[in-house]
Amino acid sequence: MLGVLVTGLAIGALYAATALAYNVMYSTSKVLSVTTGHLAMLGGVFGAWFVTELGWHPVPALFASLAVGAFAGWLTDVIAIRRVLARSDEHLWLLSTLALATIVQQGVALWWGTEPKPFPRLLPQDFTAGLADQKYWLPIGTTIVMAAALELFYRRTLYGKLFVAMSEDAFAARARGVETDRLRAISYGIAGALGALAGFAAGQLTFAFFAVGLTLTLNGFIALAVGGLGSNVGALVGGAALGLLNAFSANLIGGEYQNTVSVGLLMLVLLLKPEGLFGSRRVRPV
Amino acid sequence: MDFRRPLAALLLSLATASTAWAESPIRIGWLSSLTGALSSAAVAENQGVQFAVDEINQTGGIGGRKIELVTYDTQGDPTKAVNFAQRLAFVDKVHFVIGPVNSGESLATVPIVAKAGIPNIIIGTIDELVDPKRFPRAFRAINTNRQWITAANDYALKTLKKSKIAIIGDTSGYGTSSAKTAAELLEKAGVKPVFSTLVDPNKTDLTDELAKAKAAGADVVMPWSAATGLLARLLNARGDMGWKVSIVGHPALMAPAIRKLLNKPEYWTDAYAAGYVSMTAGADGKLPAATKSLVDRMRPKLGGAEIDFMFWWVALGYDTVHIVEHAVKKAGGTDPAAIQKALETTAELKGVYADYTWTAEDRNGFPDVGVVMNLADSFKDGTYRAPKAP
Amino acid sequence: MSGTSLRPMAGSVGVLVALATLPWWAGDQYQIHLAALIAAWWILVAGLNLVVGFGGQLSIGHVGLLAIGAYAFAILAGRHEWSPWIALAASGGLGGMCGLLLGLPSLRLPGFYFAMATMAFALIVAELVLALGDLTGGGVGLSVPGFPEPFESPAGHYLLMLGIATMITWCAWNVARFPWGRALVAIRDNPVAAESVGVPVFRMKLAVFVASGVTAGLAGALFASLQSYITPDTFVFELGLFFFVCIIIGGRGSIAGPLAGTAILTALPELVAPLAKLGTLFYGLLLLAVVLLVPEGIGRLFQVILERVRPRETASPVLEPDAARLAAAIRRQERP
Repeated sequence: MLGVLVTGLAIGALYAATALAYNVMYSTSKVLSVTTGHLAMLGGVFGAWFVTELGWHPVPALFASLAVGAFAGWLTDVIAIRRVLARSDEHLWLLSTLALATIVQQGVALWWGTEPKPFPRLLPQDFTAGLADQKYWLPIGTTIVMAAALELFYRRTLYGKLFVAMSEDAFAARARGVETDRLRAISYGIAGALGALAGFAAGQLTFAFFAVGLTLTLNGFIALAVGGLGSNVGALVGGAALGLLNAFSANLIGGEYQNTVSVGLLMLVLLLKPEGLFGSRRVRPV
Repeated sequence: MDFRRPLAALLLSLATASTAWAESPIRIGWLSSLTGALSSAAVAENQGVQFAVDEINQTGGIGGRKIELVTYDTQGDPTKAVNFAQRLAFVDKVHFVIGPVNSGESLATVPIVAKAGIPNIIIGTIDELVDPKRFPRAFRAINTNRQWITAANDYALKTLKKSKIAIIGDTSGYGTSSAKTAAELLEKAGVKPVFSTLVDPNKTDLTDELAKAKAAGADVVMPWSAATGLLARLLNARGDMGWKVSIVGHPALMAPAIRKLLNKPEYWTDAYAAGYVSMTAGADGKLPAATKSLVDRMRPKLGGAEIDFMFWWVALGYDTVHIVEHAVKKAGGTDPAAIQKALETTAELKGVYADYTWTAEDRNGFPDVGVVMNLADSFKDGTYRAPKAP
Repeated sequence: MSGTSLRPMAGSVGVLVALATLPWWAGDQYQIHLAALIAAWWILVAGLNLVVGFGGQLSIGHVGLLAIGAYAFAILAGRHEWSPWIALAASGGLGGMCGLLLGLPSLRLPGFYFAMATMAFALIVAELVLALGDLTGGGVGLSVPGFPEPFESPAGHYLLMLGIATMITWCAWNVARFPWGRALVAIRDNPVAAESVGVPVFRMKLAVFVASGVTAGLAGALFASLQSYITPDTFVFELGLFFFVCIIIGGRGSIAGPLAGTAILTALPELVAPLAKLGTLFYGLLLLAVVLLVPEGIGRLFQVILERVRPRETASPVLEPDAARLAAAIRRQERP
């Protein structure tokens, strides 16, 4: 049972990290981007490429992957968000991010191939460590650090405070002279780096595989909606709950009903507490 | 509703075919998923098909008629495969159809090709693909899924003498149906699996499943999945747990892609996969002569270096074209009914991949003796070795 | 007024006649098959277009409803040997019912939540098709019967599908034309304002969604009998994306745009091999280009060009006071 707990938490941590990336982008743009899971996928694929194909040391490979993720996040803003937010149609961003996500996924499939490829061992450790293996605790530890760092960032730094101000009221922030466009671009870059970091940390769990993106977009979103949109604590709790539910349902009833169980959880929470466990009630959009 | 025109066209083409026998090329339609998620086998098979066509055309074709290959990329999508099958039958008016590569596509195209009356060389392993009554002109060149499973079951029960079997299938269409067939065949042999489960092919960790199999007392694990990622995770989980249990199963267990996914190379030992006599080196380390010859002839085309994919795909593709050649020669032309007759009465047709025999009742040409168990970690230069007798 | 609305009508009739005689002028059976496939996709897209194009609900999971219709038809008409007509109706009914079950909880959700819920629905259907192997044939799939004479031949099957597609198009056109359709557009453009003028927002969304479920079920049944064999590999998530792209590219909120989008996107990769190689990447690029450059869809682009070339006569209505009534009203005012 302990094994199920640890594997569930490990994959749940990846969901939670994706939910955190959703939150960062949402705070400045009120947009939930379909590309969020793909940012993590890029971290895994590029990390593997830098280390196994180009022969780099894991540390520069990590920073290069973060740069790739940040660039992809920034590109999401430039291509799919900036032009579209100016228009009043509220659905356009969904279409543009969906299109971009499809392009990223299929592009990686054409370049990297559709078979999962190995992700390198990051720390020297024997494989017989069992549940103490780095492939479990790297994603768990990274996600916790990530959430803590985000909280510090929001509370202690000027940029963090500007993010909070923008998420409270973007118009008021702009009226006070905040460069909202630049802030949004920065937040997308940060989200991209966070996503890539999560994908890199969990690479040994997922392998470097192009199809991870869409799965994470969906499961990260479920974690986010269950925990509550905008809440980082919620993202952690939601991710852990979803990961554990997946692991225990696979253990008890088999792997055939994975998606059904996950979505069942989502529907249950949305029916009982539509704003999620830690979310704030949305104001009526008038 | 109006069949008169196609019928007239057909009669016309038959008439011209018999008078202009020497000039008109033999058109072979080749449905191959060259891109998309399932492309690695198809790309290799395509090498073999192309090579055989070039070889035959360079030596003057079949009875003076050149082969014209019409290749379509189905991307592994059954809807596209059906479209292209229609196109081969009614636009390109091919004499033969080879493929498609994947069983999911073949299930959809075989009835269409059969309806058009075109001889079809099948290279999918699912049992339902051939049926002498419904699809009289569909002849299978590849082994059946049942032959793989039977060989693996026999190896576990008779050679390894282990009967506490755990079956692990993946939740894809292929995995679910294969796991079911494996359990049925075992029960027919009087053995009930001690543990059986289905796993999402992208599940990140299989420690839990293996722990359960161990708790159920299994002494051999039989995975039925073509997903190399899943199989690598299974081998990794076994190695990391330090559990000494034999793994016997699907040929993908010995795919070279697995090597890179393993935590340690030695995790690949004590794993056995269904393979082919024709692709297995003997005790002297030598491949069968026909295989050796094809490898040598094709090596320049494949880049000159060691072959880093399973060579049996190439050999299968190569043989399908030679089956067509044999059928046309024996039938004295491309009349579909004559081709059917010719293939129905073919016995022991020598090929690289196997020797084929079809009869009026049996459309499975691959002989049971053509399947043999291989050591999963023995991959070298496209081929394998057999385990030593215990 | 009647003169201007007659012209597109005549055009539609002309196109319909051309399509109905396709089996007699088509080069070969492959073209008929392709046309039948377009008809099947269009039956689904026509319904989905009401949801996406008029209602503004972005469903990317209609492939799940398509699969339900296809499997229902294969099981009822194939295994249980029901009459194909009753099985077809049952497939449509089941599609509508599943649309209701999906729509009831998810239509109250905001845009992104709804899109994700429909995507998850498609994944669940795919999962259940494999898990319930005894019913659906699992990974091996099911063979699907055709329709009885005179619809048995490819040409007959095509004409049947064309007939149903025409009927569905007519229904969709009527919905779009009448106040109902206007209300839908109002919901899409501003749900709050729509509600404030008394449009029953949720009930209308649900009704449209159920209708799209019916068309998806019908399309699934017709598609399955066209394919003659269905396996889980057929109903991949990318197919759901494809339907969605057909609508967006053609132009939301019109009938002709998505119809053209469906026809072109189905036929184009078949005709242009390099596009087929790119596969789903091609749809992604096209979607992005359209959303960024012409968010109203390519159909709208043509309309704009057409109006440049041949400006529409804008009638300037002259308002003339109804002197008699005005006088009467004034008189009533004066009386007390």
